[in-house]
Amino acid sequence: MIQTGLIPNAHHDLVTDASYDFYGHRLATCSLDQRVKVWQLDESNGSWACEHEWKAHDAAISKISWAHPEFGTILATASFDRTVKIWEQVPALDGDGGGMQLNGASGVGASGASRWVERAMLVDAKGTVRSVEFAPQHFGLKLATISSDNCLRIYECLEQPSLATWQLLEEVDVLTLPATSPAGRSVSQTLTMATPTQPSAPLDGNSVSLVAHALQQQATQNQLPGRPGLGTREADGGWCISWCKDRYWGEIIAAGCGIDGIVKIIQIPPSRRPSTLLSLNPVPSSDPSRPSASSASGPSGSAPTPSTNGDSGDGAKTYAVTSVAWAPSCGRSYHLVATGGRDGHVRIWRVKPPAPSEEADGFGEDGLGAQEGEAGRWSASIVGDFDDHKSAVGRVEWNITGTILSSAGNDGRVRLWKMTAGNVWRPAGHISVEQADEQQADVDMGEMAVED
Amino acid sequence: MPSHQHMAHLVPPLFEQGRLEDFTRSGRVVSHTMSPRDDTLAVYSSPLSIPQTSSAQGAFHSDDHPIYFASKEEAPRSERRVFITDTSVIFAATQNLIKVSREENVTLLQNDDAVRALGKLACDYVNFCKECCLYASQNISRADPLQYDAEHYRRLWTCFSLFAVLYLPEPGLEDAPIGDELMEWLNTHFIEPSTQEGDELSSQERPWEDPAFWPYLTRTCLRGLSKASTFFLKVLSKHPSAYLQGLAQELSPLLTNHPRLYQYSAERDFAVASRRWKDKVKTLRLELDRVPESERDDGFENWWDRFSDIVGILEGRGEIVKKVCMELGADWKEVCSVWGIFVDTRLRRQDLPEVVAQVIDEMPPDPTDREDMVHSSLFLGRPAQALSEAAQLDIWLAAHLADLMEPIELIDPEADDSELSLRQHYILSYAEYLRTDPALWRITVDYMYSCGSVGTGMADQVLMRVPLRLENHAAAGTSGEEAASIRAGHLAGVLKSVNETCFEYQREEIRRMICRIAAQTFIKEKEYGLAISYCTSAEDWAGLGRVVDLVLEEYIAQGPEQFARLVANIAPSLHALRTDAGTKIPAPGVFLHRLMFAVRFAEFHQRRASGDGQGAALDAVTMFRDDIAPKSWWAVLLCDALDLLRDGSMFFTSNDACLLIQKLEEIHLAVGQGAEDDFLPVLCRVTKRGKKHALQRLEVARLSLAKYYAKCGAIGVGGRPSGWIH
Repeated sequence: MIQTGLIPNAHHDLVTDASYDFYGHRLATCSLDQRVKVWQLDESNGSWACEHEWKAHDAAISKISWAHPEFGTILATASFDRTVKIWEQVPALDGDGGGMQLNGASGVGASGASRWVERAMLVDAKGTVRSVEFAPQHFGLKLATISSDNCLRIYECLEQPSLATWQLLEEVDVLTLPATSPAGRSVSQTLTMATPTQPSAPLDGNSVSLVAHALQQQATQNQLPGRPGLGTREADGGWCISWCKDRYWGEIIAAGCGIDGIVKIIQIPPSRRPSTLLSLNPVPSSDPSRPSASSASGPSGSAPTPSTNGDSGDGAKTYAVTSVAWAPSCGRSYHLVATGGRDGHVRIWRVKPPAPSEEADGFGEDGLGAQEGEAGRWSASIVGDFDDHKSAVGRVEWNITGTILSSAGNDGRVRLWKMTAGNVWRPAGHISVEQADEQQADVDMGEMAVED
Repeated sequence: MPSHQHMAHLVPPLFEQGRLEDFTRSGRVVSHTMSPRDDTLAVYSSPLSIPQTSSAQGAFHSDDHPIYFASKEEAPRSERRVFITDTSVIFAATQNLIKVSREENVTLLQNDDAVRALGKLACDYVNFCKECCLYASQNISRADPLQYDAEHYRRLWTCFSLFAVLYLPEPGLEDAPIGDELMEWLNTHFIEPSTQEGDELSSQERPWEDPAFWPYLTRTCLRGLSKASTFFLKVLSKHPSAYLQGLAQELSPLLTNHPRLYQYSAERDFAVASRRWKDKVKTLRLELDRVPESERDDGFENWWDRFSDIVGILEGRGEIVKKVCMELGADWKEVCSVWGIFVDTRLRRQDLPEVVAQVIDEMPPDPTDREDMVHSSLFLGRPAQALSEAAQLDIWLAAHLADLMEPIELIDPEADDSELSLRQHYILSYAEYLRTDPALWRITVDYMYSCGSVGTGMADQVLMRVPLRLENHAAAGTSGEEAASIRAGHLAGVLKSVNETCFEYQREEIRRMICRIAAQTFIKEKEYGLAISYCTSAEDWAGLGRVVDLVLEEYIAQGPEQFARLVANIAPSLHALRTDAGTKIPAPGVFLHRLMFAVRFAEFHQRRASGDGQGAALDAVTMFRDDIAPKSWWAVLLCDALDLLRDGSMFFTSNDACLLIQKLEEIHLAVGQGAEDDFLPVLCRVTKRGKKHALQRLEVARLSLAKYYAKCGAIGVGGRPSGWIH
């Protein structure tokens, strides 16, 4: 790993999200300071310059997402002010053609040739909006949002050149969304309703995450003295989405919500109501005494089995999934979905669609039995499970070919994971914002289990 | 990779060593995102939790917060980049060879010519490694410092050439003894004893008094370096011991005349010669044994023991060979190579792993030395393991070895659980490494597209993200010129290369996406003609419709002059579309129609502006008559057309006037029935006034038309009116 660049004073407050455009030539960042910045890469020397900057919301911005370039240069921002805004970059001298509203978002910085204009504001969320992501371009100019009201919302742009009108196509309460066929398919392996008694692997005794956790609770409760219940939930919860990039199966999105630690794979058919195809529910080791680094850093290889209810004891607590990332499928017959959560685990799920020949049959057998390769239904198994961060994982993200997974944890590190020959996922390096120490670096290199 | 470290500390650090807790307590965590360009990570500090109220912001962390960028690997540069691009040519040739062989429906191994060709390609790889190694070892001043040192390329060279020696023999020679070739490989890459040692010894009067003398002589015998051996054996004629003098004299011709396979055309002759030679060695041994014990030491060394070792090697005693090698500090490779020369002269490729396994038992390879591990895996006939070791030495090596291993059936061509074969896995890993330099995208996708459906999927992702650099204001230089050329309607620059690549690999979907993106860029720059060309090329009819809408918006927003200017460059695209409409492109009529209207409408305004009232009038009437004008634009078109009559000109025939009146009445009728939204909004937007005003304008139009019609009747312009009904 090598450091290749630095923007010394990027924002005046902590950065809440950053997103590269389609080509990786621009980086959009948003911050607690309610501002969005768009940085442009100078390929000749690898440096970044701020191209535009504007105040985008009335509260912290949680997420920022680029639309596919075939729709133009478009950004969506989600905010704690419960709105999602759509922004478009237009030439500076462009007359405001379609009577679109201007938001004073004028161009700044080096490039005076263009500016960003607010095109629409989506105000349906009844909670803070935690994530926004444009759909893969083959589904049209659509976007999904998820907010702390546990609702997944799908919007479609009705007037493309103007970007002014966005229709709310779907509004789904993720927690209560039923499976495709209540009688059968894909229920058993998922245990969707068994939230309160999920067992979980406790973290190391004096793990930093506990400090973090305490701080978090404290912070939230301080801010929301009147609503303790909601406050706890908001701080502990995780709301995340990621679209399936593949076209073949139609519109599918992975969504995690609240604190139940489950990610649902939700299908959004064009004419019917959305339904849950599958739930990704990690059932951790039943032995709570072994969450050590080495034993768990290898891939588990085995499929998760349904937990047996009640065995885990009343004290068991679930940990929210904070981030989900759906890898580009790149010609594979299976999908890779990564999740990261407050339990400190990075998991790589191998999600298998029904075999194409079976697809027409629709209904599989009843919900009992095997997981992977089961005819006529979606199934999933864990092919990598890593707790190296030893503290809550805040973000997981794939590269464009789905060969490298990156994860950021509260241990101040970003780690990479890579598939090696034989379908085994292994650590592939990490970077830290901790001050370097020669000896420390050596130890770290030694402990990397990259070789047989 | 040698320079590859798994860990990086970003600077400036965000917390002191071991003070993670402080960092966490400050309410911060790290977060990141990954670049689609080259997998670069952008790392930044993020809030542990986001304050819920806006008032809380700012008070929390009012400080300057950096964004760090980090990469997994360093992008190839300098000599490495040349090495990569040069060897990619051999890779392409290999793919071609395999493709041809597949088309002929025979496995490559059954085709001697193909195997021979593959051997030549392997030889090319070996030579490139060698060239690069020699270049890197030159002590010259370079514009760019080397990214990898000569030692690295030497390692690649030894590994690749060993692979070629062991696994890609000339067809027909697969079963020939391998000793000579192995010894040649060893002598090429691991030169012992050193020339310097030889020089030092040869300068001495009595070199046998030097402790380095006997090891040197033994090594030259082991390595079959008969010239050096005989030189020093001749020196021994001055040795005080008469016994040794004689023995040395006899040993010398034995070494010189040691039968080697390459000297014989038939293996049988070689075997016979070997046997005869062995008999002579036996004789020498007998003479050696006759030397009395007391004469065996010259005061510096027990020369007899040393001499006996050499004879032992010649006799082919495995134990002696191992013992001598260990004493000399030689490793298992040397023992194995010597084995085929002295111990088992008929050692074949398929027998080698057994011998090597025994040797390695006693003299294991160095597990920390990747090169040695690749060598031993290759010697042991474990190609998969060799690849795994090679991948840690340099992914280039693993990828190119794997690419040659699959056609000669050393590794399983079937995909494993990940749906990748071993070859695909390593080739794709290498391609991932190439992605660290986006400018290498052509090579990257060539490697990826050679890897089945998964590779194709990955290559698509790379190809669609190749920056097109269409922006006019792009930096000066070639990209600026290319952008200009593209603007002139030519396929140039990156766009052209990407198009060609799409065509080569039949990636129509990707090509279309790229065209759609290009169209979007041109729309932004109001290059509507180009936008339409690219929409058409992408068969993106909805996009085409949107471009037309935008063009018409220009009329509304900017007025007729600007509109006419913009549309002027659309006409050629329309013409192309029309010609193609009947043939290959099924452009849906509705979009074509709208486009035609935009073009005719622009022509109309152009004529009007240039004073060609008659022509403009004809345009207007044709648009109505041929039903080109969409209803929503009727009102605008009518008003514009009637502007032509202001100065009393008589451009319309009475029939034309009649048609216009008819359309006007249709509008009035529809508006009367409540369908005003179908007819009036555009006029409203053009005039920037309300519906009432629009209707007033239409009333005015009606009046002037009626007047005009009456005038036609009175002065007989264009024939007398024949009535209202047509």
